[in-house]
Amino acid sequence: MSRESILLGRVRYSQDRELPGMLHARVLRSPYPHARIVRVDASAVPARAVALTPDDVRGLGVYGCQIQDQTVLALDRALHAGDPVAAVAAATPDEAEDALALIEVEYEELPAVSDLEEALAGSVLVHERIRISDNDAAYFGIRPEQGTNVCHRFRILHGDFEVGLEQADVVIEETFRTPAAQHAPMEPHACLARWEGGRLELWTGTHTPFNVRSDLARVFGLAEEDVRVVVPPMGGSFGAKTFVHLEALTAALARKAGRPVRCVLPRSEEWVTNNRHPALLTVKIGATADGTLVAKRVDSWIDTGAYADCGPGVAQKIGYSAVGPYRIPHVHVESRCVYTNRPPNGAFRGFGATQAAWASERAMDLLADRLGLDPLELRLRNVLRDGDVFCTGETVRDVHFAECLERAAAAIDWGQGRSGKGLCVLLKGMQTPSRAQIAVEAADGGGYTIRCATAELGQGSRRALTLVASELLGAPLSEISFPDPDTDIVPYDTRATSSRSTYMMGNALEEAVRELRKDGRRGVGEFRNSGGLDPDTGQGVASSHWHQGAAAAEVRVDEETGLVEVVRLHAAVYAGRVVNPPGAELQNEGSMIMGLGSALFEAVSFADGQVVNANLSDYQIPSIADIPDGLTHDLLTKPGAEVHGLGETALPPVPAAIGNALGSLGIQTTELPLMPETVLAAIDRRDGGGVR
Amino acid sequence: MRAAPEWLAPSSLEEALALLAERGDEALPLAGGTFLAALLNQRLIEPACLLSLARIAALGGIEGGEELRLGAMARHRDVELSPLVREGWPAVARAFGVVASPRVRNQATVGGVLADADYASDPPAMLCALGARAVARSAAGVREIPVEELITGYYETSLRPDELIVEVRVPRADRAVYRKFRTRSHEDRPCVAVAAARRGAETRVVVGAVAGRPQHFPELCRDGDAAEIGRRYADAIEPIADVRGSAAYRKRVIAVEVRRALEELAT
Repeated sequence: MSRESILLGRVRYSQDRELPGMLHARVLRSPYPHARIVRVDASAVPARAVALTPDDVRGLGVYGCQIQDQTVLALDRALHAGDPVAAVAAATPDEAEDALALIEVEYEELPAVSDLEEALAGSVLVHERIRISDNDAAYFGIRPEQGTNVCHRFRILHGDFEVGLEQADVVIEETFRTPAAQHAPMEPHACLARWEGGRLELWTGTHTPFNVRSDLARVFGLAEEDVRVVVPPMGGSFGAKTFVHLEALTAALARKAGRPVRCVLPRSEEWVTNNRHPALLTVKIGATADGTLVAKRVDSWIDTGAYADCGPGVAQKIGYSAVGPYRIPHVHVESRCVYTNRPPNGAFRGFGATQAAWASERAMDLLADRLGLDPLELRLRNVLRDGDVFCTGETVRDVHFAECLERAAAAIDWGQGRSGKGLCVLLKGMQTPSRAQIAVEAADGGGYTIRCATAELGQGSRRALTLVASELLGAPLSEISFPDPDTDIVPYDTRATSSRSTYMMGNALEEAVRELRKDGRRGVGEFRNSGGLDPDTGQGVASSHWHQGAAAAEVRVDEETGLVEVVRLHAAVYAGRVVNPPGAELQNEGSMIMGLGSALFEAVSFADGQVVNANLSDYQIPSIADIPDGLTHDLLTKPGAEVHGLGETALPPVPAAIGNALGSLGIQTTELPLMPETVLAAIDRRDGGGVR
Repeated sequence: MRAAPEWLAPSSLEEALALLAERGDEALPLAGGTFLAALLNQRLIEPACLLSLARIAALGGIEGGEELRLGAMARHRDVELSPLVREGWPAVARAFGVVASPRVRNQATVGGVLADADYASDPPAMLCALGARAVARSAAGVREIPVEELITGYYETSLRPDELIVEVRVPRADRAVYRKFRTRSHEDRPCVAVAAARRGAETRVVVGAVAGRPQHFPELCRDGDAAEIGRRYADAIEPIADVRGSAAYRKRVIAVEVRRALEELAT
């Protein structure tokens, strides 16, 4: 997949895949956030179209990558505005859309849970029972609290928080909020399904072909080998296309139609399919007068919407990310994943680290302010260094947090005055435990073929792995092909998430090439990382190695309107060894720009349970004109070091760096995004609450 | 099943006006399509018939003189980059040049942005401040409508179904400014827009994007300093709330931005 082929529109994405006789699908969605479905009548749909109603799918299995809470269509209750209640396949998308209008649905509206506070009050249960999934994405000890809306609770107990607090001279306690955000990839979710001799075949944009395969096998009562998932390149994802979204519904339609069916989501439906988790974090942190951290407590609640998706995993990652890369002897974390009657929230570039860093690193600056310390100094005094013990009990190695911070600070001339400047350091884990397998085959006509499940979502994994293979094989790039992942052919991989693919697959590739040399035709390599955390104590190994970074921002504020201009933004990221320098730089720049959107203006807005800005005019993402002139970054490298994934590291620290830059001007914010109105309110508070 | 709208593409203005006279109630004129295409795609409108203006050469063009004459099918980008406009009506070039992105400006038209009457578009407030007039033609005749009277509310105009905007005439001003206050991306529509123009002793200040139509209060501009006039505008306007800002926030920004526009006008 060359740059030329992308620019010239030659890449065939999922939304471009076609099969003879293919029909097009459209989805009928609940207009209510919570409603009993009394009746669905599709009898008026003309015979040339195929309608799928709850009765068609009542007998099928329940799915969900971590909690089994999803049916192919909403059966008796619609759980969010946008929940699919019926679907139609027809000769054209327009015809399918017309047919939707002919389906009659009778609803009986129910009281809905619209936010975390209402969910925790518990008067309405989104799900009566919470069943842990058997999918291998549910690997970490999920702790549902039955009879409540809490589908997972993760805890860290390290030292004794109360004892630590007694040693503190200064204690800061504050609550921080992050809203839902939309991934907004150029290509929406798209999936093509076909049934062939009792086997289900899918062409779908997903990072998680093997997780999709096992969930669909479960839904349709098939052996996993009877589900084939092919992954064409994606026109972007940013986490949106992890786990099952359209696949079950499209497959069920194709089965009923007896013909292939393609479903490409209209843009507006992206906002009811998958967003970033809104989060509420309360941080209590104590230090001695000299700035030594002694105790920290984090209480975190994330809103996972009506279906858990990978929300429990996000809650776990937030749990330790919100402690931050610091040596703190006494830590207590309670992190919960909570159901509401909102559209489902899932993986989003950063996987909780953005929400965690916003809270944790804003609290660090409030603490520095109270202690009268330079925020850089406070961080350097406590930051994890080689051989230190993290709150999970694991000893950290090859860590460069201090260096990332120093480089970021230097880039905005931290030493020459701190007014309008802010910093944020980031620790982000990589999927642990996990397993990656890759095969390399000598092709008949010469050259080599890579067989691996790593999906191309625009992150450049195919290029990075092809470069690694080229070096290991001593073969030119032109002799190495890397076809679309196909679960019928490629060996197992956990998934292409958490910035792990270049590292994990790159390591597996070394063995594969060694094996190929022995065999002559084919070599398979495997690489595993091991560890995991006890969900009740948070002790164990959170990550087999760490994604590490820092951001520094300098802002100018229009104090009459609250408008923030980011003058300089710098990210320093530890890369270890870089495989593909242009790709690495693009990952950093793309992450920072996406971080600017999260920091300054991106938020999914709701009214009466409905998304009210489900289009790219009412929901804005950064444009080229929004990029500060001073957008720079560093890739910290070390000869012979491990490759470190770079897909997400430079995004999560951006909002807190900007928030801390505002803080240096006395403008203290706790809620994202930093819309001018929010900033102006903080200026009013600073100036004594005086509104004109 | 829904039928695709009938497609009419006359090659002369006379032909277009005759079609509108006959079928004005069901035929929807289509210019650049940046607004209508979005509505059509989302099925917010389902017209029986679309009347494309793309083939009518007479609707293009930008001419100067005592007044600036912008053809209804002139693109935003043409207005933005025209040396004639930049020289004689720089604030007009600016108001058209800050709309969305170059891709949108290459498509969106002068007539279209007025006929859509979208409350959050940039050009209407500027044209209003300059006292511009839209020339509307029908098979029955021609009339000039001040932009101020053309836009009557949210997506509402005083155009009759058989009328077409063929041209916009913009008088000269001694000086004019356009300030676009955005709260999100640079490609966003304004949260508050302020257009101000001075011609001799007269100063006109128009606030856009805060209500159903451009907000103009001639009596508030007759005396007082910039800050005072800004406060009066903030008091006089009942702003809307949308994803770009609440009503209360808009009031504060109106006071600031009107003041700044008047200060800029005085330089």
